[in-house]
Order: sequence, then structure tokens, then C-alpha cells
Amino acid sequence: MAAVRIALLTIRLVMRTKVALFFTFIFPLVFLFAYAGLIAHGNPEVVAYMFGPVVTLNIMGSGFFGLGIQSVMQRERGSLRRYRLAPLGPRTMLLSNLLANYLLQLPTLGLLLFCAVVIFHMPMRIGWATLLVLITVGTFSFAGFGLTIASVANTMQEAQVYNNIVWFALLFLSGVTFPLPMLPRSIQRLAMFFPSTYLVSSFQSITAQAEPLRKHWPEMLVLVISGFFGLLFAMKLFRWEKEERISTRAKLWSGVFVLPFLVMGVWMNTRANPTATWSRSYNAMEQDSSAGPGSKAAKLNLIEDFEGIQTSEELLRRWRVSADADAVDHSVAEIHLLTPGAEGTRHAMRLQGRLAPGPKNSQGYVSARCEVQVPANSKSLRGIEFEIRGDSRVYQVAFQPPNVTQLRSSTPAAPVTAAVGPSALPWPLPAISFVPSEAWQNVRVPIAWLANPRDRGLAAGPWILQISVTGPSGEFALDLDEIRFY
Amino acid sequence: MTQTMEKTVLVSVQNLHKHYGDLAAVRGLSFDIFQGEVFGLLGPNGAGKTTTIEIIEGLRQADSGSVRVCGLDPSQESMSLKERIGAQLQSTVLPDKMRVDEALRLFAGFYRRSASVEMLLEQFGLAEKRHTYFEKLSGGQKQRLALALALVNEPELVLLDEPTVGLDPQLRRDIYALIERFRGEGRTVLLTTHYIEEAERLCDRVAIMDRGHLVALGTPRELIARSGQGTRLELRLAKPVGLERLKVIDGVIDCHEAAGAYFLRAQPPAVTIAALVRFLESDDNALLDLHIARPSLEDVFVEMTGRRMEH
Repeated sequence: MAAVRIALLTIRLVMRTKVALFFTFIFPLVFLFAYAGLIAHGNPEVVAYMFGPVVTLNIMGSGFFGLGIQSVMQRERGSLRRYRLAPLGPRTMLLSNLLANYLLQLPTLGLLLFCAVVIFHMPMRIGWATLLVLITVGTFSFAGFGLTIASVANTMQEAQVYNNIVWFALLFLSGVTFPLPMLPRSIQRLAMFFPSTYLVSSFQSITAQAEPLRKHWPEMLVLVISGFFGLLFAMKLFRWEKEERISTRAKLWSGVFVLPFLVMGVWMNTRANPTATWSRSYNAMEQDSSAGPGSKAAKLNLIEDFEGIQTSEELLRRWRVSADADAVDHSVAEIHLLTPGAEGTRHAMRLQGRLAPGPKNSQGYVSARCEVQVPANSKSLRGIEFEIRGDSRVYQVAFQPPNVTQLRSSTPAAPVTAAVGPSALPWPLPAISFVPSEAWQNVRVPIAWLANPRDRGLAAGPWILQISVTGPSGEFALDLDEIRFY
Repeated sequence: MTQTMEKTVLVSVQNLHKHYGDLAAVRGLSFDIFQGEVFGLLGPNGAGKTTTIEIIEGLRQADSGSVRVCGLDPSQESMSLKERIGAQLQSTVLPDKMRVDEALRLFAGFYRRSASVEMLLEQFGLAEKRHTYFEKLSGGQKQRLALALALVNEPELVLLDEPTVGLDPQLRRDIYALIERFRGEGRTVLLTTHYIEEAERLCDRVAIMDRGHLVALGTPRELIARSGQGTRLELRLAKPVGLERLKVIDGVIDCHEAAGAYFLRAQPPAVTIAALVRFLESDDNALLDLHIARPSLEDVFVEMTGRRMEH
């Protein structure tokens, strides 16, 4: 009970300290945005792959700097002495620190998850219980690590040195910064001895491959054992006073803390061969994000990348082009296969032509349409995206719902809305305008714009994706590639 | 706890030894503290006072000797003992952003028996500062909070380690008033100090320590009376007198002259003063000015150790 009291007060104190607030809540977000924005370029699949390292980084930071350094600071500052006069033992103090550290982790990690899902549209392949287990086990293990360092360090400077050595080793050699499959073989072998590797790889295989947590029980077990070892050492070597010094012999004994990692590392190197799992997670992310032909993700998410089309005639069978037929000197347009496509792909589609003045002083228009099967029942569907480039005219992308008699409703009890053709829709569908540039750029249409605003229902069946251009008479050209759901 | 001459011994220290490496901090220290008394450990810095009090609190292990506090062995029954004692450290450090009332409530929650936090806030003049962060408190307020924390479990024995060190005279007087209140409440208090006047004013009995040794033990009055220093008399006379004639006056131990004044050490002083008056009458001399200064614990310390206390 005393441990809970101290832990709750510690949390309150953190909330009152701006620096602590920054490092507890804001700093982890900086990492998420750096990883998801700069490295993953906002690609949800890459974000899913990066989520594990970001969470692991945060857990590591809280273990080493939040708990470890904090413990040494308390001792150096002399604030433990007052507690020592009360009927409290080292166990109470350590448990309170552990509890405060853990309880502070949860909202931080919740915030990370929220941002990853809402801002970066990370597919949520990890269940809540699994996530909680991973976070709990990881926090416990790294708390043990931090406490062990705090126990063996006699001074703050010493603790900083130990912390930095371990921190940077784990940061760069265990998949936290660089994906494990990208590391040289020798580093991969070394990484198998590091706890952060176990946490990162477990996270990644779950978030990228939707593997069950039970497949990673050896990693979880080792992390839990190491956490207990750390706690045990911290209890044994706990010091209330900064004047108390720890002997070299006791320091060496604390080396037992790394024993579970040694055993695990040897087992992984000789028997388990986790590199295949690491590669599978990495490849799943790669395939899902680049959606190469034939991949699972390609089948699920890809609408059109033009890679399977060999000729412009084939392209024309899928796409229809229309223009203002009633104009005197009507607009003309054609589509053809463009080689190469966007960002190293083989093909893209080019919509090219000339806009004529429309009838009665109106402007001419041209449109290209194709049918899109919207997976209306998909929970992870967030929208449709594509790559475009072209001249600086204003283009529009619009979706026409299917001629179906029923709209999927998100709530089974909600009344079903009948719709026959666009005109029968009780809500307006937006058209998105954009001006392409010479470089390929990504355009996203959130699926929420297509849904029934009343019950957020989405019509199932083939939708029509239409890209059109209108404006002053003259030539135009628009390249289109990589049309996919996200 | 043992009964001695109808007094209950609350703390018993027998032949206590403590070394830090080669340094002997405490050497064969023995004393008893009776229930309800204010007991002072007086000595210069490095005398071993803090080590002794920390051994009594159960914060340090003695190398040898026996210590019983409230009938418990601090080294073996530390948790039970902490329920029954309240201690104030030489300097109390709490987290910067901890509020005064939070600190009191937190620590009160650690004990089976606890005092009313509101009462402590009032008693120690901290009610207006209840929501103030520890970092914002003045030195005196921090010290008062430390004293309040020492009483948060309604202890039988209060241990105060240099409670007024570093405080200005006004704050020091406030702390004296609090300690006198403890005495009035019948609490047993052990305090360490290197301020002579503090020990003389507050303590029922004083143990004077130097370099780990106990050099004297008793009530301040007993110690002063036991001292051979004698009372200091400073006199100015109408006519000069030879020092040899003054030295032979009854009770005069020592005599010297400086800046036209005569300084005498006398024991017992009453006999000396009476003899001095008779001498001056017979010599047709007159007393222009007379100052009488009783010996202090400082004098006792000087006599016992041959050194002055370093403040």
C-alpha cells in the first residue's frame, strides 16, 4: 500500500514538472513522427513495422533514464534518506518506482498508438491484450535493466557511462534504429543477445505479419526472467545513501542479470534462427507497402498499378475515356501505357489530349473512368490513394457509388438506404480537385468522404473512379499510377 | 525499557564503537536517556554525534556495543522501532514539487499510528504553506516541516540532529520553542548540537562528546558546577591594586589585568565577592564596576578537552 501511495505521488510530481512531462509524453511522439514521417513516409504498412521499434525505444528510455537515472538521482540528492526513517524497506521503494514507471508508460504508449492509427493509418493487427502483454513485459524487463545499472553505479557519472554504453548498443544493434534484416550477419548474431531485439522482433512479427503472441513465448519468458533478476539485484544492492559504495565483487555478481540474454542469444544463434522471422516481417512490410504483383497485399489493397498491362489496348479495355461530344470543336483525349511508371515501377497510365471550348461559352471536359471494387466490409480500409503528375491544370477525382439496392450499414439495426445510381443518393459525394506537378505526388481520398454520413455505411460493389479535367482550351497530360486502398 | 531510580530508560547506549575505515567515529560511548527528558549530545563537528544518533535511529550499524531504544534493538528490529520513533535529519530533502500537506499525508500513511495532519500544520505554523512546493519553502519552513514529519507518527522518542544549524537567530528561537513544547508534552527528545547555548537552554541532561569519546555527562548545572573553571569576575577599582594581593583573596583561582580591568576566576564566587568587598574596605579602595559571568558548557568543554568548540 505504501508503494502505491509513493507511486501515485511520483506520478503527480511528474505531472508538475515540465521537463519530465516533455520527456514522458512529448519526446516519444517526436520519435514516432520521425520514424513514421521521415522513414516510413507515412506509409501505413511501414508505420506498422516501425511501431515496434518506436515503442521499444520508449520503453528502453523509461527503463534506463526514467527509472535507472531517477533512482541514482534520488540517492545522490539525499531524498531517499527521509523515506529511510519511515518503516519502509527497499522493496517498497523499488516497487513504487516500478509501478510509477509502468503507470506513466501506459498513457504514453496509448498516445503513440493513437497517433499511429489515426494520423498514420497504421493497420491495427495487434490485439489490446497482446499489446498490453508486450508493453508490460518489455517495461518490466527494461526496468530491471535500469535498476541493475542504478544498483551497481556508485555515482551519477558512473550510471551515465553504463547507461550510454548499453543504450547505444541496444539502440543501433538490435533493430530499434535499423531493421534487423538490414544489419550485417555478424551484427544480427550479436543482436540475438539483446533484449530490445526480442521486444522489437516480437512486435514486428505481430504488427506486420499478424503472428500470434504465443509464438514468441521464449522471448517473453527471457524478458520476464531478466526483469525479476534486475529487481532481485536492485533489492539486494539497494542503497539509501550516496556515501554507501558497492564493491567490485558485488558489481560482478550483477553480471548474472545478463545470463538469461546469454542463454537466449546462444539458443537463437544455434537453434532458433530468428532471422527468417525477421525477414518475413520485413518482407511483409515491404510487399504491403510497395504492393508488388502477386503479393497478398497487392491482391487486397491494389486497385491498379498498370504493371500487368502489356499494351495500351489492354488498358483501354479497363478504362473508358469520354469527352464533351456536343461541342462544335469537341475535346479529344486518349489514354496509353507509359513506361516507366512512378518511382521505379514499370508502367503508368497517361491521359492526354486537347480541351476544346465547350458549347455556349462553356469549357470542354475530358474524363477517364474505371470500375473499382471497394472492399466495403474491410475494417482497415481508410481510403484510396494514387500517384499522379502532369501539367498545372485543375483535375478532379470523383467516385460514383454502385447501382446497388442496398448500402452496407455499420449498424445492423440502422435502416437500410436504397440507392439506384448517383442521383438517388441522399448525400452529396465530393469531388476532389488537385493540381499536379511535374514530379510524382501522392493523392489520398479518405473513404469517410464516400460513406453515408448518417450511419457511416459504405456501398458495397463496383464503384466508378473518375478522373476529369476541364478548363481553358489547350493541351493537357496527366500521368496516373499506383492506385490502391490504404 | 528498564527502570532506574523510578525513571524509565528509553535509550540505552553501552560501550558503542563505530569506525569508518581507519577513522574511529565513536569510541566506547555509554549513556542512558530517560523517558520524558530532553537529552543533548553536545560536541564540535566530527565528535561522532550524528553517527551516534543514526545508530540509535537504526540507519547505521554499530561495530560493537549495545544499543536499546524503546526496548528494541535498532539493528535487528528496525521496522518496529521506526513506528515508535520520529527523527529529523540534519538536512531533509524532499522532491521539489512535493507540497507541504502532501508530504505530511504521505508520511503519515506509512505508520500504523499517525497524528492529524491538520493539527501538525497548525502546530508548526505551516497551515498557510500547505500547498507550497518544497522547493519554494524557506530554510526555516523546511526545518519546521522536517520537525513536523518527525512527529507524524506520534513518536515516543524524538531524535533531532542539529535542528537549528544554519538558521538565523529568530528561526532558532522558534525551533527552541517547539522543542520546549515537546518537553511540555512529556516527549523524550534526543538532540545533537554544537551550540552551547542550545544545550544549556533546552537540555535536561547533556553528554559532551569529543572525537568519539564521551567527555562529560550530566545536567548543564552539574557539569558547570563540576567544572573547576570557576565564575569569572571582571572588576574596575578606584585605585590600582597589585595582582599578588588579589590572588590571595578567598576563593580566587586565577587573576590577571587587562586594559585597566581585573579579571578573576573564583570558586565559590559568593565567598570571593564577600572577601573582595572586605579587602577593598580595608584597603580604602572602591569598586567602580563589577561583572559576574558564570562558567558555561563551553568552559566545561575547554576544561575537558583543552580546546575550544569550533562553531
